[in-house]
This record gives sequence, structure tokens and C-alpha cells, in this order.
Amino acid sequence: MTRTLLTILLSPLCAAALIALFGRRRGRLSAAISVASAGLQAALTLFLLVGGGWDGSTFRDTATWLTLGELQIDLGFYFNQMSALLLGVVTIVGFLIHVFAVGYSDDDKARGRFFGGLSIFMFSMTGIVLSENLFMLFIFWELVGFSSYMLIGHYLTDVASAAAKKAFIVNRVGDFGFLLGIIWCFWQFGTVSLAELPQALSASPVAACTLTFIGLLLFCGVMGKSAQMPLHVWLPDAMAGPTPVSALIHAATMVAAGVYLLGRVAFIFNPQALSVILAVGLATAFLSALFAFGQTDIKKILAYSTLSQLGFMVVAFALAGGSEGAATSQFHLTTHAFFKALLFLGAGSVIHACHHEQDIYKMGGLWKKMPVTFVTFLLATLAIAGVPYLSGFFSKDAILLLAKHANPAAFWLLVVTSFLTATYMGRIIFVAFLGKARSHAVEAAHESRPDMLFALVILAIGAVLAGYTGLYPHALASYLEANIAEPTHAEHASMLLISAILSLGGLLAAFFIYYRPGKNTDTFEKAAPGVYGVLREKLWFDNLYDWYVRAVQQRVANLVAILELVVIQGVLVRGSGGVAGLIGLAARRAHTGSLNTYFYWFAAGVLAFWLTTSGIL
Amino acid sequence: MLTQAAETFRSLAPNGVDWSSIAPEIALGVWALYVLLREAFRKPGSRGAATFTTIFLLLFSLLCVRNAFAIPAGASASFFGGMIEQSRTTELLRAFFLFSGFLTTLLGGTLLKKQGVPQAEFDVLILLATAGLMLLAQVRDFILLFVALETMSISMYVLVAYIRHSASSLEAGIKYLTQSGLSSALLLAGIALLFGAAGNTALPGACADPFSFRELRVFIFLNQGNAFVLGGAALVLCGLFFKIAAVPFQIWVGDVYQGAPTPVTAYLGVASKAAGFVLLVNVVTGPLLPLRGVLLPLLSAVAILTILFGNLAALGQQNVKRLMGLSGIAHAGYLLMGVCAAMALNVDWPIVAVYFYLFTYLLASYAIFGVMSVLSGEDDSAQTLNDYAGLMKRDSFLGGILAVSLGSLAGIPPMAGFVAKLFLFIAAFTAHLYWLAAVGLFGVVVSIYYYFNWMRVAVFVPCKTEDEVEAGTLKAAPIASGFWLRTVLTTLALITVCLGFWQGFLAL
Repeated sequence: MTRTLLTILLSPLCAAALIALFGRRRGRLSAAISVASAGLQAALTLFLLVGGGWDGSTFRDTATWLTLGELQIDLGFYFNQMSALLLGVVTIVGFLIHVFAVGYSDDDKARGRFFGGLSIFMFSMTGIVLSENLFMLFIFWELVGFSSYMLIGHYLTDVASAAAKKAFIVNRVGDFGFLLGIIWCFWQFGTVSLAELPQALSASPVAACTLTFIGLLLFCGVMGKSAQMPLHVWLPDAMAGPTPVSALIHAATMVAAGVYLLGRVAFIFNPQALSVILAVGLATAFLSALFAFGQTDIKKILAYSTLSQLGFMVVAFALAGGSEGAATSQFHLTTHAFFKALLFLGAGSVIHACHHEQDIYKMGGLWKKMPVTFVTFLLATLAIAGVPYLSGFFSKDAILLLAKHANPAAFWLLVVTSFLTATYMGRIIFVAFLGKARSHAVEAAHESRPDMLFALVILAIGAVLAGYTGLYPHALASYLEANIAEPTHAEHASMLLISAILSLGGLLAAFFIYYRPGKNTDTFEKAAPGVYGVLREKLWFDNLYDWYVRAVQQRVANLVAILELVVIQGVLVRGSGGVAGLIGLAARRAHTGSLNTYFYWFAAGVLAFWLTTSGIL
Repeated sequence: MLTQAAETFRSLAPNGVDWSSIAPEIALGVWALYVLLREAFRKPGSRGAATFTTIFLLLFSLLCVRNAFAIPAGASASFFGGMIEQSRTTELLRAFFLFSGFLTTLLGGTLLKKQGVPQAEFDVLILLATAGLMLLAQVRDFILLFVALETMSISMYVLVAYIRHSASSLEAGIKYLTQSGLSSALLLAGIALLFGAAGNTALPGACADPFSFRELRVFIFLNQGNAFVLGGAALVLCGLFFKIAAVPFQIWVGDVYQGAPTPVTAYLGVASKAAGFVLLVNVVTGPLLPLRGVLLPLLSAVAILTILFGNLAALGQQNVKRLMGLSGIAHAGYLLMGVCAAMALNVDWPIVAVYFYLFTYLLASYAIFGVMSVLSGEDDSAQTLNDYAGLMKRDSFLGGILAVSLGSLAGIPPMAGFVAKLFLFIAAFTAHLYWLAAVGLFGVVVSIYYYFNWMRVAVFVPCKTEDEVEAGTLKAAPIASGFWLRTVLTTLALITVCLGFWQGFLAL
């Protein structure tokens, strides 16, 4: 077991090392290595989950890494049903995206760097999934941050490097809180092991206030990585990276790491912390869905959609807390990984075919030219909209049901958000895929390579089936370690009705508002330019942060820089350097090369020793 | 065959003296004789035994590591009436010295060929010196200590002066001979004073065997104020401080390190220094421990001066061998910090930290000296920083090894040197030696300056001939180095990095 998990964890690292050593100039070789390692991961994971390699019991194995007095840091695996589920999602979706990326990157000059980055990411993400304790998890947490940074900035343009920096810095803000939370946790309970924390928590009563703070600090990490308000600003910008990266990291897996973390430490959150988390999640879900209307870049629309769905997951967790909340959020995480990865890969297929055109108002009529892409994209759209009996329906259903019981206000907000989701997704379909072509690049578009379509089709099957009645909730229930609220018969009927109305109504609304073949202006923008402007500017979050950085932080930094120049560089460094240099000169001058001098040193030394030991000196 | 030989020795042994306990040292001596004889009767042109010697040392070292882990932790056994004590630690130290002997002969193979001097005698001397060092790791008796130390020292006198056609090598040999001789005399005088005092039946607790560490400890405990005891302790420490090159007995280092052939410099800087520390640890936590009240301030002061002197003297140094030597003085200072902590706390884990530091120091130093042997030109003693300009471009492999090893010496994470330094500093803090730790930190900061300066030269400063290379008039000379040397250097660098990440096996 340990050996299998180690192989799953380390094979992408080996791939990355091989690529760094031999593959930097050989694109095809590095692609092959990287895909092979992802394939190995997926195969071993399938062996564990369905091939009988694992008996389903919680598995834990640790080795001491560092002991410093009281502090002992372990490295190890903590593998339970929840990690099994996410491991399956990460490796299988990851493998399909690797396959897609081979075709997508055929015109990329830095293919080795690209696939090396993907492999490092797979290593770090697997590490997060398997980590036994919070310290180890934090290490991999930072490593995914690093690989995300590297891959966002892959194209080396100004926009891409700015986006990469932004993602890194914003995540740092969240991670700072996360680290404080981990340290506090260790200080309070004496352990950060995920397996030992629950006992430690029940053994020593902690003040509610302390527990709330620890929970919220840990949630800071989630806010950064899962891009919750107000730290959501980096995710839309991260779309500057290659599309497979957006699909893998910024839709399916890394951003879900935050939600996974919530599930891993679910026992730590008390009702006070959960109510804060609920508010954050609701704001993220609702506002991001609104912002999606102000975008015309296909990837940015999808990015806001991701934000909104992540909000759904966080809300799902916060509504129930504990294992029930964790199970519901993990369920949505799983289905979302499939249909959102599919949406991004579909968008990637389109972008690749249209020579990197991303504005939906320059597309149109693509359904004829790219039928497979269109059909799979449509399926994913229906799934995310929540059309009954597709995967998204079941997971969203579970969340709505939870909200209905727990918090009516949240329920209604989620209902509206679901409607908006269907509408903005319908907008992409009606503007980009239906109607007529709006530019020459689009007219010349043709279907993508079969290997790319292969990934799309497999993911589409997942998007349809990942939550299917036959599977839900019974089959997944064991993985989620808690029963998801199972609707009674009457509730089931009413939920079905609500979902059908919301999803189909939203799509219909999109049809009436946005289906204008041939026109390349946004109907909504024309009708209400003021509101549209607000949405396009995303409520000025970015402008506010820019202002803060420019007006406050930059000035403080300038002041500190002057102090640094004068005091540290001038006086301390140059000054002490000069003094040290002078003494050094003297010390070197002591080496005269003459034996006579050297014997005087000896004599002086012996005398000094004798005097010291005799107590005279 | 070895066991048979051991059986024979056992049958020769009078009253329970177990020769098989020092079979490895005997084997080394026998092998040295074999190499000499083979060289004497070798037909001109046929191969010598050099390769076998190198492999022999490596295998032997691995064997000792295996043996060490067969001994249960904490167990020890005495032989020769308590003159020798063996435990897992001493077995690992044997492996340490064998491994440095292996590396030295390997580097010797590269350098001696270039200098046109024969290798057989070199190997013989290294074998004998290594045997002496291995004995030193186990001695618990002053007379055997002196004999083993001289076995090593006499071989070293010849080795330092080994390149007979080089004036600087000869000069270094003479300087080392006279100064080391003086230090041995001081050590012997110290031993004699202790012997005289402890053998005096008028004093309380007079010893039957005044050379034995165990008996001396009891005697010294009972006679802490005795002038002979104090004077003897001071002189013994003088002799040992010469070996580890601590201030004020460090002055020989620059000239000798520069003049000696590069592999010998490495051997002096690592193996001989390590032996000095092993002895120092055994003496100050053994017979001299009752004098802790007097010796701890003395050792702390010496450590502070050593750290300061080594780092500051290395600061503007251009000659790389001198640089390694002077910075090695600073490393001796950090190690002394660990010894002080072990004395102050009277526990074992700072000693483990000291030995771990010595091992990381061995890895990094030999890697750097290996690069030096590859790069050394006609005059082995004249290598300066300028010769490293553009090394990264000319040969990125050697540049990489150099960067990793310098990083480890400077104590930069994730290299092993960082962790090793960290342990020593933790030891000093735990022992409340705050001033010592503060000076140590200052020293580390200074050391980053000169180590990184070396790295800067290797990475950023363009090679002198580079313009001509670009103009096409001259091809950059390819740097020749053997496959095995490269493999070993790679292994050293890899262990350095791995130990930086994982050292969970240490019982700290």
C-alpha cells in the first residue's frame, strides 16, 4: 500500500526530473514522459479504487522526518475514502487533460517546460491529497502554488507574467493566515496530524473563541487557493495560462484543494466559524455569477463560473459542517471537476481551432465546423446548468436541499444563482456555437485532432454519469463517509421541478436575450450599459487593490527602501564589510611565511593555556 | 582468509589480548606492504596496484558501515586491557577514515599523473596514515594515542612534501614537520606531566595505570587543583589544538595547505582534523571532564577566536587552497562550539552533531578538492579564484558540483551543511553558550561572503579566453576528468543534498 501510494506520488516528480535533465529541447520526448507518468498514476489509482488494491479501510503510515526537541515533523500518508475520491478525480481528469495537452501544445516552442510544469503540478497535487499532517500538506500547498505560478506565466508575455505574479501574491496572503492557523493548531493541540487531531480536540476542551479563530485562519488558506471573496481576483487573470492548465489547475483540481482541505479538517469548524464561511461562500457564488455576464472572453466567463461553483461547494460545507457538509461539498467537487474540465477543454479546442481567438463575439456558428466539440460542450453546459439527470443536477440538488432545510435565505440566493448559471452558460452556447461566423479565423476553423477529442468524449461521459441516480447517492456514499441528505419522495419531486425550471428557464432566457445571429454586440450591454459596466469592472475589486498597492503599500515600501539604502546598505553592510576586511587584512598579514614568527605563536599559545588553566589569567 | 589470519593472531596473543579487534588496521598495514613489494618487483610498463588500493579502501569502508549497524546501539567492548574501546561510533569513525582514504587515493590518481610523480608510495603512505587514524578513533589510553598519532603524522610529513620537484611542496613539508614535531613534543610533555602526577602514590587516588583514560579521570577528579594536572591538561590540549588548527595553533595552516599536493591538503583538512576532534571529544569528555570548570571558558574563548580568525583571514583570500584552509579553521571553530556544548551539558547528542558535521564537511570538502585536482595546472599550489572564471560555462558539471558543495560549506539550505550547522547552534543554545552561538552566526554570515564570491566567479565572471573563443581563434580547452572521478563527485554532491532533506536516522 505504502509502495503504491509512493509510486503514485513520486512518478510525476521523476518525470519532471527527467524532463529537466533531458527534455528541455525535446518537446515530444517530454510530452511522452509526462503523459506516461500521469497514465501510471491513473492506472495505479484505478487499481486501488476498483482493482482491489485497497480494502477501503483508513490507511495511515508515517516516517519521522525531523525531530527538534518537542517538535517532531512526520512525513506520511493518510488515505481514507475522501482522499480516495479526490485522488481518483485528480489522476483521471489529470491524465485526460495531459492527453489533450499533447495536441493543444503542438505549436508550442517551450513544450518541455510546459510538460515539466504539468508533472510538477501533478506531484504537488497528489501530495496535498495524500498528506498525513498539516505541515506536509502546507509544503505541497506551496508547491502547487509554485507550479500554478510557473504555468500561468508559461507564455512569457507581459499579461501572463503579471497574472502569474498576481496569483502567487494573492495566494501568499491567504497562505499567511493558513500558516498561522497551522502553528496555532500545533500550539493548542500539540499535533497537526490529521488522524490525531480529532482525538486531541475532544480530549482537551478549547475556548470556543480560540476554535473559531483557528478555523477561520485555516479557512484563509482555502480563500486563497479556492479563490473565495475577497481573494478571488487572481483566478480570472490566471486564464492567461495555456488552456489545458486552466482546465487542470484552475478549474478541476487545484482550486478544489481548498474545498478538500475543508473536508479534511471538518471537525475543527464550530458554528461561529461556519457562519462566516457561509457568508463568504454565498457572496462568492452569487457575485461571480453576476460578473460572468460582463465578460466576453470565453475563458474568463468560465473562470467566473468556476468561482461561482467553488462558492457553491464552500456554501455546501458551511451549511451542514462536519462530515455531512464535507460529503456534500466533495460530491459537487467531483461532478464539477468533470464538467468544468470538459468546458475548459472544449473552450481550448475552440481557441486552438480559431488561432487563439477568445472573444465569443468574434466566434459563432462553430457547431457545424466542430460537431464533437459542440456536442460535448453542450453536454457540459447542461450539466453545469443543472438539467435533471445529468451529473451537475444531483450535486447541486444535494446542496439546494441542504440549504432548504438549514437556511431559507441561503436557499433563495442559491436558487437565483443557479438560474444565472444556466443563463450565462446559455450565452456562450448561443453566441459562440450557434448563429453565424463573425470573423474569418472562425470561418476557417476545423475540428481538433482525434486525441484531443478522445479526452473530450471521455470527460463528457463523466459529466453525464458522474452523479447518476444509479450511483448517487448510494455508490458515492461510501466514498463520502457520510450520507448525503437523501430526499424523500415528495421532496425529490419538488427538487426535480425546481431544478428543471431553473436550468431550462435560464437557458431559455439566454436564448431570448442573446440569440442574435450575425450581430457582434452584447444585447445586455446595449440595454443597460450602466449595470453592464459595473459587472465588467467586477465591482472594482481589482481597482481597489491597485489603489491600495499604489497609494499605501508602494509609499511605505519606498520609505523602507530609502532606510535600507542608507542604514543597512550604507552603514551596516559597507561599514561592517570594511571593518571585517581590515581585520582580515591584518589576519592575513600574520602569515609571514617565516617559521620563527610561527614559533612565537606557539609560545604565546602555550603560555596563554598554562596561565588560564592555572587560574592566573 | 581474514578470519584465518585473525585466528592465527589470536593464538599468538598473550593473556586475552584480542588481535582480531584491530584486524582492519592490520589488514591495511599488510596491504601497504604488498603494494610496496609489488612496486619493487613490477616490470616497467605494467600496471601498479593503485586501482586495487582505491577499491580496497572503498569496500573496506562500506564493510565497516555494515559492521557498525550489526553492533547494538550503546554497546561497547574493551580490548588490550582497556587501551581500545569499540562501539558503533568507533566503527563508523573507522569507516569515515577509510572513506576519506579512498577519496584521497582517487584524487591522487588524477593529480599525481599530471605532476609526473609515482603513485605507489603515495598509496602506501595514505594506507599507513589511515590505519593510524582508525586506531585513534578507538584509543582510550595516552600511550597508544601518541603512537597512533605519530603513525599518522610521520606519513603526513612525507605526503605533504610529496611533489619533490616543487619548491612550495618541499617548503610546506619542512614547515609541517617542524611545527607538528613541536606540537607532538608539547603533547608528550603534557602526557608525561599527567603520568607523573597520577603515578605519585603520595597523592589521593594514584593510578596503577596512569595512561588509562578511565583511571586518570578518577585521579583528576580527586586532584583538580594540582599544578601538574593542570599544566599537563593544558599541554595535551595544545597538542590536540594543533591537529584541529584552532587559534592560536592555526598559523601553520595557510602555508602547509597551499604547498601540499591537493589530495593531501584534503586529507589534512578533513581526516586529520576529524581525528583531532575525535581525540579532543574523547579527552575532554573523558579524563579531563572533572576540569570542566577551567576548561570550558578556555575552549569557548578558543572557539570564538577560531571562528573570527578563520573567517576574517579567508575574507580576501585569492589562492583557493589557502581559502579552503583558512575557512577550515572557521569550521573547526563551529565544531569546537559543539564540543563545548557536549562538555557543558555532559550528554552525548552534541557529539553526534559534531560527527555529523564532520561527515557533511568531508562530503563538501572532498567534492571541492576533487574539482580543484581536475582543474589544477602545472603548479599545483598556485590555483587562484581567477582560474575558476567561467567554469559554469566551460564545464557545467564541475560548476554544479562546486556550487552544491560551496553551498553546503556556507550552510545554505537545502544542503546538508545547513542542517549540520543548525544542530551545532541548537547544541550551543541548549548549553546556554549564547555568546559563542552569536559569534558563530556572525562567522557564518561572513563565510557566505567568500564562499559566494567563489561561486560568483565561477558562474558570472567570463573566462579570460572567452573573447578569443568567440572570435574563433582559440578553442576553450576541454576539461579532462575520468569517469569514475565524475561518478564519485556526483555521489558526494547527491549525498550532500539528500542529507539536507533527511537526517531522521540521527539519534539527536
